Amino acid sequence: MIQHRFAVQKKSCMETIFWVNFAFVLYVYFGYPGLLMLCRRLGARPVKKQHCEPAVSIVIAAHNEQERLERKLKNCFELDYPKRKLQIIVSLDGPTDGSEFIVWKYVSQRVELVHSKQHLGKAVALNRALRRATGEIVVFADVRQTFARNAIRELVANFADESVGAVSGELLLIDESAQEATTDVGLYWRYEKALRSMESEIHSIAGATGAIYAIRRELYQDLPEDTILDDVVTPLQIVLKGKRTVFEPHARAYDVVACCALAEYGRKVRTLCGNYQLLAQLPQALLPWRNPIFIQFVSHKVGRLLAPWALLALFITNLLMVRGIYAVTFSLQAAWYAFAVAGYILSRRDIVPSILIPNDSERAA
Amino acid sequence: MRRLLSLPYTFVLMNWAALAGLYYFVTGRKDVWLKSKSSHTHKHCKTA
Repeated sequence: MIQHRFAVQKKSCMETIFWVNFAFVLYVYFGYPGLLMLCRRLGARPVKKQHCEPAVSIVIAAHNEQERLERKLKNCFELDYPKRKLQIIVSLDGPTDGSEFIVWKYVSQRVELVHSKQHLGKAVALNRALRRATGEIVVFADVRQTFARNAIRELVANFADESVGAVSGELLLIDESAQEATTDVGLYWRYEKALRSMESEIHSIAGATGAIYAIRRELYQDLPEDTILDDVVTPLQIVLKGKRTVFEPHARAYDVVACCALAEYGRKVRTLCGNYQLLAQLPQALLPWRNPIFIQFVSHKVGRLLAPWALLALFITNLLMVRGIYAVTFSLQAAWYAFAVAGYILSRRDIVPSILIPNDSERAA
Repeated sequence: MRRLLSLPYTFVLMNWAALAGLYYFVTGRKDVWLKSKSSHTHKHCKTA
């Protein structure tokens, strides 16, 4: 009798864990976007954009980027913005490949070099660059991506609205045919952008795109040295100060889509590691009375960190009660993971053994 | 067929990245702290 009651309680406990985790995963990937759609309909806050031309400082932090720096600087020179109002700062973080000589070539053309001989990380490089910046607006850029000609104009137009403290541009991932990528990595990125767009219309996004974002210089706070995600920490600090961080889809930067999911994986690990650090650096973001975008932050950022644990709990609890409806859910889960393994095997078939990859001299030949 | 399989693969990989991210954060692995975002292209991939 006691044994029976214990078994019933155990089953009920398992069922509760299963359904709670199921609801959580469902909310993170489907419920939250649905909630955003609803909130957008009920109370969107459009930004009062207006054409304006404040002084702008473009900050580019780089380590060893000799090959890309020249292209990036030329891209900055071609931007549609008054040249006298544009300051370009390249902050080099302990380069060992002679990147500084590339920048020196352009120093007389509105380019300023901040050169650190020690490799201390991107956050330190940005802090140093910001001390040199004179523009009312600071635009952050990565070396790899190129800006559209009108990118700066589109970003700064949002600052006509006094409530806006930071603006994130749109990173377009392009495939070999120069079209927006429709690979799985490309689709994943488009899903992310759709979320950001809706978050922005309601209040603020929970992080910017590192390749292209702008802030009011007065709102910048020095980043701790070991910061991984400057593009999330800085905009979030601005939101915590009561200003909005919005998304501007017309301010575009272009990049090549990751060749495969495995390449995107490396970037994702870094991002998610940075999100854990973010929780340690800005714990006030988890306080609903301090963070105006608490629901977005918890649903989007924290939800993604907890989702794998929920999936694990979902699988284990299901494994321990494979009967009735749970047999069906288990079959679906097992099929999903079997497909994932098959997908992994298929993707490996595309990877050329390193012995077959020619080295640089062979390529040149 | 290939697309059908790569969707669950990408989903699982991205979730696995969250666990790996926690591991890197807890162990303080420096290669993550200082790595640039330029690891977009997998050098052994045909489509790179």
